[in-house]
Amino acid sequence: MPKNYLTIALPKGKLLTDSVALLTEAGLDCRSVENDSRKLLFDLPGSEARIIICRPTDIPTYVEQGAADIGFVGKDTVIEQNKDVAELVDLKFGYCRFVVAMPEESLPQKLPDGLYDLSVLNHKRAATKFPRVAQLFFNEHGMQVTPIKLHGNIELAPRVGLAEMIVDIVSTGKTLRENKLAEVAQILEATSRMIANRVSYRVKYERIQGLAEKIRVLVQ
Amino acid sequence: MERSSLGLKIPEGMIDLLPAELAQLEELEGKAISVCKNWSYQKVATPGLEYRACVEPDADKDDHLYKFFDKNGHILALRPEFTTPIARMVATRQKGGQFPLRFCYSGDVYRNDSARYREFRQVGVELIGSNNDIADAEVIALAIEIMKTLAIKNFQLNLGHNGIFSGLAEEMKFETKVREELEDGIARKDMVKLEKIISSNDLPESAKELLLSLPYLTGKEEVLDKLQNWTHIKPIRKAVESLRTIYLYLKEFGVQDYVSLDLGILRGFSYYTGAIFEGYLPGIGVPLIEGGRYDGLYADFGMNHGATGFAVNLGFILEKAADFELDMADVLVYGQSPGAVIKRCRELRKSGKKVEMALGFLADTDARNMASSRGIALLEKIEIT
Repeated sequence: MPKNYLTIALPKGKLLTDSVALLTEAGLDCRSVENDSRKLLFDLPGSEARIIICRPTDIPTYVEQGAADIGFVGKDTVIEQNKDVAELVDLKFGYCRFVVAMPEESLPQKLPDGLYDLSVLNHKRAATKFPRVAQLFFNEHGMQVTPIKLHGNIELAPRVGLAEMIVDIVSTGKTLRENKLAEVAQILEATSRMIANRVSYRVKYERIQGLAEKIRVLVQ
Repeated sequence: MERSSLGLKIPEGMIDLLPAELAQLEELEGKAISVCKNWSYQKVATPGLEYRACVEPDADKDDHLYKFFDKNGHILALRPEFTTPIARMVATRQKGGQFPLRFCYSGDVYRNDSARYREFRQVGVELIGSNNDIADAEVIALAIEIMKTLAIKNFQLNLGHNGIFSGLAEEMKFETKVREELEDGIARKDMVKLEKIISSNDLPESAKELLLSLPYLTGKEEVLDKLQNWTHIKPIRKAVESLRTIYLYLKEFGVQDYVSLDLGILRGFSYYTGAIFEGYLPGIGVPLIEGGRYDGLYADFGMNHGATGFAVNLGFILEKAADFELDMADVLVYGQSPGAVIKRCRELRKSGKKVEMALGFLADTDARNMASSRGIALLEKIEIT
């Protein structure tokens, strides 16, 4: 494999289209990449690169281990996975917010400053796909909340008494409303990031930094 | 007692080494240590168990230690590295030593994190008691010499400096909060965060420009020329002068071609204070050599010594090394009379041969088969006379 050959890990799903468009604009020939395909590995002809399609939560792992040199992934996943990777560029797309949400009928009182009084949530349970993010937030606020790790359909948990609240990412808020949940606190905002393996970033510095610079300009 | 199913397993991150694997590891280790000895580094050993108070004095910090209690309730830890234990040893047992001290070591270190190997063999050196740039150059040249001796192809060594960010923060009198945020961004190699802090804080334009460009200064001498504009700031001038001198000495050592200057090596504010370096091998996702100057560590142990050193992770080298030919016995000895067989084996071993003894009588065809399946070239049958 040539020294500067790049393996790029992209998330499957809705971020793939944006990522591929960005890489194409940055000069990589991504015509071979198909969304909704069972294929997981695409060679980019003439670009000395290939794209691998991964579950978003796995991308930091691929990159940390050096199986992929760079990856595009949400900041939410970067925080949750807490892997040793370099974060190079804020890609600006894939915007979402981490929030604490509760059933509409059991919202806490509001404080004079207009925020919800979260202290009543002490010793309660929060269903989430992101237990680390949840724990960091509650710790920071001096709260004792037990995260319950789930892998999907988080909104269901408070409806059936598995948890009193959820910690999840929202982009439009539609899913929350449909499940009669309301936001009680915002934890953080996140966008997608270009991340790199720390050794690849040094060994293939010019190639990766060149790509990062192009992308930085494109997403401005 | 018969083993339960757990008793047949080994803990996560641990491995057994079968003869061919171990022989190869020891071959690499032996070669590396003999290079160190050629450079006048003497081998030392420290215990596998240390007090946590030695290897991780900050009780608030998340660590990756395997921890136990001793009978007095003190927390013990398996050593996660050698540099700190050697500093402890020097501070307590070599106070009156003839500095500079040159020590080398090889042994297993233990880290309870999610890495593939939680126990792995390190070979490394410590050069204690010199603040001179030539000391940094010596250990870097030695690291490269070891890689060359181990026939590691395509490796690359990047040389940076850990004193620039911290020096600048001090010089510019950053608020504690900004400084902490910067440190966190550096430790996580989070360029997005660094950029955000730098541009959203009220810092002098020149400091902003420097902080933003530092992580991208990488290459040969021209890197230092680019830093020249900022050398009115004392810690930067010091770092540039140091790096220039070290780089020059590396040319004298004949290893400059392997080295890139790289101020983008971000290592947080650990005990490294000066020149730092990392060795990389394409296809291995983490550095296989980590080293640098750590003057602050000896101060922590109450000694005023500059020190520098490095550790090589042999496990990764083993992974990349070509298949290894295990050294087999030279001769298989068999025969009717155990006494005569033992006698002949003793003679042959005395003469320096590697000898395998058949345990019990073998027919000639069985002996031939055994020898060929084990890669033993010679057969010797002891006839009763």
